[in-house]
Formats: sequence, structure tokens, C-alpha cells
Amino acid sequence: MAEVTKQEMAQIARLWNARGKGLITHMALDIEDVSRDGVRVRMPFNPDFCIDEDQTLLHGGILTALLDSVFGLANFVAIEGISTMATLDLRVDYLRAARSRADVIVRAHCFRQTRHIAFNAGSIWFDGHEEAEIARGTASFALTRGETGLFGAMTEGDAS
Amino acid sequence: MDRSRLVMDLQTVNANVSRVPFFRFLNFEVQGVDSLRANTEMTFESRHIGNPVMELYHGGIIASFMEATAAIAVHPEFAEVPAKPVNLTVDYLRPATRGPLFACANVTRKGKRIASVSVMSWQTAREKPVAEGLYHFLLV
Repeated sequence: MAEVTKQEMAQIARLWNARGKGLITHMALDIEDVSRDGVRVRMPFNPDFCIDEDQTLLHGGILTALLDSVFGLANFVAIEGISTMATLDLRVDYLRAARSRADVIVRAHCFRQTRHIAFNAGSIWFDGHEEAEIARGTASFALTRGETGLFGAMTEGDAS
Repeated sequence: MDRSRLVMDLQTVNANVSRVPFFRFLNFEVQGVDSLRANTEMTFESRHIGNPVMELYHGGIIASFMEATAAIAVHPEFAEVPAKPVNLTVDYLRPATRGPLFACANVTRKGKRIASVSVMSWQTAREKPVAEGLYHFLLV
């Protein structure tokens, strides 16, 4: 299976980071590694995502949102010819209290794809503490295949 | 039965909610609460968007909003932090578009250590749910 080229990777990163509005922009995600085998993304600490007044404890929901986003990215990279995708279901285990002001690291991949469905899994930890996962999740996505893939459509005219 | 739970003061619950940074980020209001149920309404914000082209809510925001509603149903008069979630399953049924989002959480079972909560979320009509979720909370 073809690897993602440096140029494609740069395009993905630009598209991802330049969406202009929405949650992904607010999460200020930074793609650290991307290939058809999986992606690794960094989310900087953000006090808005905490549940305590001291702002050191992350709400589980933001970890769920992070998994959902990064699963989308993993599918977008791994599956050719997707025109749209929608999350079907999402299951997340909160493995320990997410108490830290460190950046959050998430790794996710698509472990099975069929014509209509993609299956994903991912893990989250605080930077430097990979052995102490804070959350783990799985999800399935409904895919719509089109003549122009999502990647092709989004990167078309990007060279101009 | 704990009588104080029957006459829950909505203002107090909403004051608690407004002290949680992430709940302010979500921007929702508790509209009704009793010992086993919570009803909430979230205001649409551009930071909730997952699909900028269609202006749809991000699935993770929907799951977060349902988790917040579930936590309030489990423990409405939380002092410092909301109820502690263990895990969740969310089924996405329809896209959620620009506009308010509603949620209703029902505590299916509350034991000594664990609570199970079922949450439904919708926009225009309850009969057209946007998502359904099951959440577990640790009570100790």
C-alpha cells in the first residue's frame, strides 16, 4: 500500500489546521505523524477543556471529541475514494483521571475497512506518559464512496 | 427519600454548571432536574462545529453535552467537580445542524458504586433523535 508522500502530508496538515472555524481549530491540533497505518496528533493543554476551577482536570468529553476527530483523519488518509463519512457509534473508556497540564497525545488507526464501513481504535495519554493511558476508544464510520475522493476534492486547486 | 432532591433548585444547579470551565465552553442550561432525570438545552456556537461546510455539530461535542447532562442527572448538586464518568457508548442517528440541541438524561440504575445513565439528544422533535448514549459513572 502506497505511503503518504511528504507533499500529501503537508497538504493534509494545512487543510486540517486551516479550517477557519469549529472545534478542531479550537483544539489547536498538531499532526505529528501520519501514514496509512495510523496517525499521531498532539492537542495542547487548554484550560477551557477542564472541569475544575483550578483547571488541571480535563473533561472526558474533550477526549471523546479528540478521538472522534482523529479517527476521521485516520480514515481520510487510509481509505481511498471517500466522499463523505459519518460517525455511526463511538465507545470510550476513561482509564484514569485526566489530571495534568501537559499536552495530550492521541494515536489512532483504521483497523478494518469495507466498502461501506470503517472501524477505528485509538489511545490517549499525556505527553511523556505513554505507559499511563488516560482513555481508549473504538468507533465505526459509515462511508460514502464517490468518484472524487475527499482527499482529492479537498486538495484540488491547492497547488494554485 | 431525600426530600431535598425533590425540590432541586434550578438556579443552584445552573450556578454549579457555570463554574465548570468546560460546561461554559459547551454553553448549556439545565431546564429541569429531579432525583433521576435532567433536561438541558445547548446554544449553538461556531466552536461546536465539526463539519464547517455543512455547519454540523461535531460528534464529540454532542457526546460531551450528553455526558454533562448525564453527570447532572447522577449528581445535580455537585460541589467541586461533576460526577466521575467511567465509560460511554454513543449511537449517532442524525446530523445535528445549526441551532439549539436538547438532551434528556435518565438514571436507569443507581447503585452504591455505579450509576447507569441513558441519554437522548434531539433538535426539532424528540421523535427525531440526533444521538443516543449510555454512560456509566463511579459514585465513590
